[in-house]
Amino acid sequence: MDTPVTKAPPAAPEAIVKLQGLAFAHPNDTSGRNVLAGLDLVLPRGGFTAVVGPSGVGKSTLLRVVAGLARPSAGEVRLLARPRPDRRPAALVFQDARLMPWRQVAANVAFGLEGLHLSAAERRRRAQEALALVGLAAEADKWPAQLSGGQRQRVGLARALAVEPDLLLMDEPFSALDAITRHTLQDELLRVWQKTGASVLFVTHDLDEAAYLADRVVVLGGTPARVVHELTLDMPHPRLRGALAEEVAGLRRALEQNFVGGAGI
Amino acid sequence: MKDLPAGGPPRYPVLLSAAGLAIFLGVWEATVRTGLLPPAWVPAPSAVPLALVREIRNGIWITAVGDSLSHYATGVIIGSLLGITVGAAVALLPRFDAAQAWVARLLRPIPPLAWIPFALIWFGASQTAAAFIIGVGVFWLNYFASQSAVRAVDSGLIELAAAFGQGGFFRRLWKVVLPAASPGIFSGVRSGLGQGWMAVVAAELFGIPGVGQRMTEAAGVLATDVLVLYMLTIALLYGLTDFLFELITNRAMAWTRQ
Ligand SMILES: Nc1ncnc2c1ncn2[C@@H]1O[C@H](COP(=O)(O)OP(=O)(O)OP(=O)(O)O)[C@@H](O)[C@H]1O
Ligand SMILES: [Mg+2]
Repeated sequence: MDTPVTKAPPAAPEAIVKLQGLAFAHPNDTSGRNVLAGLDLVLPRGGFTAVVGPSGVGKSTLLRVVAGLARPSAGEVRLLARPRPDRRPAALVFQDARLMPWRQVAANVAFGLEGLHLSAAERRRRAQEALALVGLAAEADKWPAQLSGGQRQRVGLARALAVEPDLLLMDEPFSALDAITRHTLQDELLRVWQKTGASVLFVTHDLDEAAYLADRVVVLGGTPARVVHELTLDMPHPRLRGALAEEVAGLRRALEQNFVGGAGI
Repeated sequence: MKDLPAGGPPRYPVLLSAAGLAIFLGVWEATVRTGLLPPAWVPAPSAVPLALVREIRNGIWITAVGDSLSHYATGVIIGSLLGITVGAAVALLPRFDAAQAWVARLLRPIPPLAWIPFALIWFGASQTAAAFIIGVGVFWLNYFASQSAVRAVDSGLIELAAAFGQGGFFRRLWKVVLPAASPGIFSGVRSGLGQGWMAVVAAELFGIPGVGQRMTEAAGVLATDVLVLYMLTIALLYGLTDFLFELITNRAMAWTRQ
């Protein structure tokens, strides 16, 4: 990636993703309706950004575009990751874990490694490391069908971590889990994030989750969707779950205002 | 136990089944021995093992089984591979699908055995002709099984492959599409294995060497004991191939049974 050399003030953090005037319409949607339009967003390297917004606003679509799974119809997506043969610039964690039932846990985690320049021994080592990182080293030889929902989600996370991505994209990864499991995994994710230094783009519809995890929350709204509100949270981790009421209330207001606005005022 | 209704599960089902078989064979033996049925119509069951010994001694049994197995294997392997490949290609390549659609619609309703005359014209009464007839039937079974199995592959897994740098056609095919479709493909192969034996007998009744041809010879001289021997031989071979394939399936598809 050839970024123009600019003398940025030292305080401005290096960016990992730059979205500029991004628009997206589903190619097989005959109405040509834009899901996203005029969306600008810069994600700082190493940051934890949460994206919230009403259902159907285009959060998953945004992730798919950033992941390169869908081509924007206008505007620009720039992923400022240095390409390296043994790592992937970005990796995705799906809401439904999306494990391959014919592969055991370790082989599922190694899936992304098979596209990289790594020896079989290195692939095994990296998969083991990633599994250990999410606390599943003992389950390496199990079949996905033998895991609980929380364990499956952890495997999905390990698969993404194994390719050591600069950018970790997560689409409501914990929304299908019970509260206790969700809280455990949130804390694990924070630990992993701090340990690996990856940048995280985390989609959720749970405002408490966004406020608990992220150092920045972006609210998507309107049709077509764009960024309608941003909130920076600079409290250090670990945060107290009960102590974020004010932030959550602010996010809820932003969400509700724009929901009304999006409905046509 | 006395609470069980009369139609309840038997206490020793295996014993009952064995008794049933013994009675069946006993009645059969008795009807032939007493002359109720002439041996030219039905052999006594006790005559069949004797026939087996004779057929093994004169070397015919092993030759016939070897011939049948050889064109069975050729036809089933080629027919299955082609069927799986073409079926998968139809499911994956919309243009190819459209191009072959009417050809398939034209050829597919032709019963495989209706190809026997052409097989004999093209290849003579040879192993190749038998393999061809077997292959035609096996092809269509696998063509449909593989096509629907590949179509049913979860699109989420395709997206997963793309998200992790394995989205190219062949990588995706090898790492996602074929494994995901493998249960359906395997069950197509399995039904082909059964239909293959049907075609073996039919083809050999037309003079291609093998078990079926030996049956025609035996029928010609009313050697019904030999006839029954080869009927049971076919049943045994079918049972054996099905059993072996089930073993393979169980190993390869261990993940479907968790
Ligand atoms: N394949 C498709 N073809 C046409 N339109 C689609 C397709 N997939 C999604 N959409 C539309 O795109 C819009 C955004 O969908 P998206 O999945 O990004 O929403 P979301 O914000 O992730 O919602 P949720 O919170 O429910 O997951 C929706 O209005 C949806 O109807
Ligand atoms: Mg979504």
